[in-house]
Amino acid sequence: MSEKNRFLPYLREDRLPHIFCPGCGNGAIINAFLAAMEKAEMDFDNIAMVSGIGCSSRIPGYLKCDSLHTTHGRALSFATGLKTANKDLDVVVFTGDGDAASIGGNHLIHAARRNINLTVICINNNIYGMTGGQISPTSPKGSFGTTAPYGNLDSPFKLAELVAAAGASYSARWTTVQIENLVLSIKAGLKNKGFSFIEVATQCPTYFGRKNKLKTATAMAAVMKANTVFKSAADRMSARELEGKIVVGEFANIQKDEFTENLERISVEKSGKKTLINSAYSTEL
Amino acid sequence: MIGDFKLIIIDENLCKGCHLCLFMCYKNVYAISPEVNKKGVQLPFVKFEERCTKCGTCEVACPDQAITVDLPENWWMNEDVNFNPLFTRHGK
Ligand SMILES: Cc1ncc(C[n+]2csc(CCOP(=O)(O)OP(=O)(O)O)c2C)c(N)n1
Ligand code: SF4
Ligand code: SF4
Ligand code: SF4
Ligand SMILES: [Mg+2]
Repeated sequence: MSEKNRFLPYLREDRLPHIFCPGCGNGAIINAFLAAMEKAEMDFDNIAMVSGIGCSSRIPGYLKCDSLHTTHGRALSFATGLKTANKDLDVVVFTGDGDAASIGGNHLIHAARRNINLTVICINNNIYGMTGGQISPTSPKGSFGTTAPYGNLDSPFKLAELVAAAGASYSARWTTVQIENLVLSIKAGLKNKGFSFIEVATQCPTYFGRKNKLKTATAMAAVMKANTVFKSAADRMSARELEGKIVVGEFANIQKDEFTENLERISVEKSGKKTLINSAYSTEL
Repeated sequence: MIGDFKLIIIDENLCKGCHLCLFMCYKNVYAISPEVNKKGVQLPFVKFEERCTKCGTCEVACPDQAITVDLPENWWMNEDVNFNPLFTRHGK
């Protein structure tokens, strides 16, 4: 048998074991992405990864492909630029809940509205992991963090629903416990020609866990599993019944005009061969 | 070949001892070693290899790329299989 883990060939092995805490979901999400990429028959060399700042945003640094580790909250802005400049690249964004929804919240809704062909994997651990456990826009009401010693009073964003409402052509939510469905969903996102958003509810045992009486990764996984409701069942439940639940499933899966295709069409229409895109270095090609 | 587990390999240098493999394996193949290794990790080990269906879930779920399963069939990744009956691939 092959004695080597099937994901290691894609990883910068000299940097392993990675920096993530024991039981952190980030590592499993790397695997889920790689399994999905294989299933979607994508060319790993044609993938460019973009991330912001956060524990989750360190993922691209462990993968043997081109990547941009950008500023906090701006992963989608850099990714938009990259995809627009070279639409033949498969651009994948790894972002955290803080990165995507607080500082980067506006970039998120507008990238979704434009339906630009990016695959965004949003790693939602309900907290700022990297900076020590501050409350994020997805922290559940009543949860504890260093900035909420008496419990969070605000209602959280529901990211997958938000992105679907903003106009993305694919949006879904899964957890690290439904890793099988997560793989299938990332695969669907990679194949979708438009803005694809996959929110992954995941565990940060070090900060969310410790602050919320769930000290181990397995305890967090068990709670996550117990609180999961499939969308088809959730559609028949009341708001009260759904309190504190994680609804999983697809929230958008539609056909729609895509940003870079639109741009190319208008560019060819108005300027013919002398298109705006790539004209600066077309002689070199 | 009792005691000679070849189907599943756990890399001691990569495992951080989170025990999510025990949680994720739906066939309860794994158990936790009572001893602590030099990294302070209580390694999981394969206790009931004969129960393994080679689904490959533990391999994907291990955050530290420490598990290798021989020939993971990943039957749940097959297009025709809906892993969960409530899971609808094409939404609505
Ligand atoms: C402009 C700017 N503001 C604030 C920070 C500090 N900072 C670094 S990571 C982070 C939050 C990360 O949270 P999230 O995106 O959820 O990632 P996680 O670590 O939880 O995976 C913050 C506020 C920063 N690096 N840059
Ligand atoms: S602090 Fe939390 S999110 Fe960051 S690596 Fe540790 S467990 Fe993961
Ligand atoms: S899931 Fe991986 S890292 Fe965690 S205990 Fe099992 S083998 Fe070790
Ligand atoms: S391959 Fe499946 S059945 Fe076998 S040990 Fe892993 S999770 Fe359990
Ligand atoms: Mg976070």
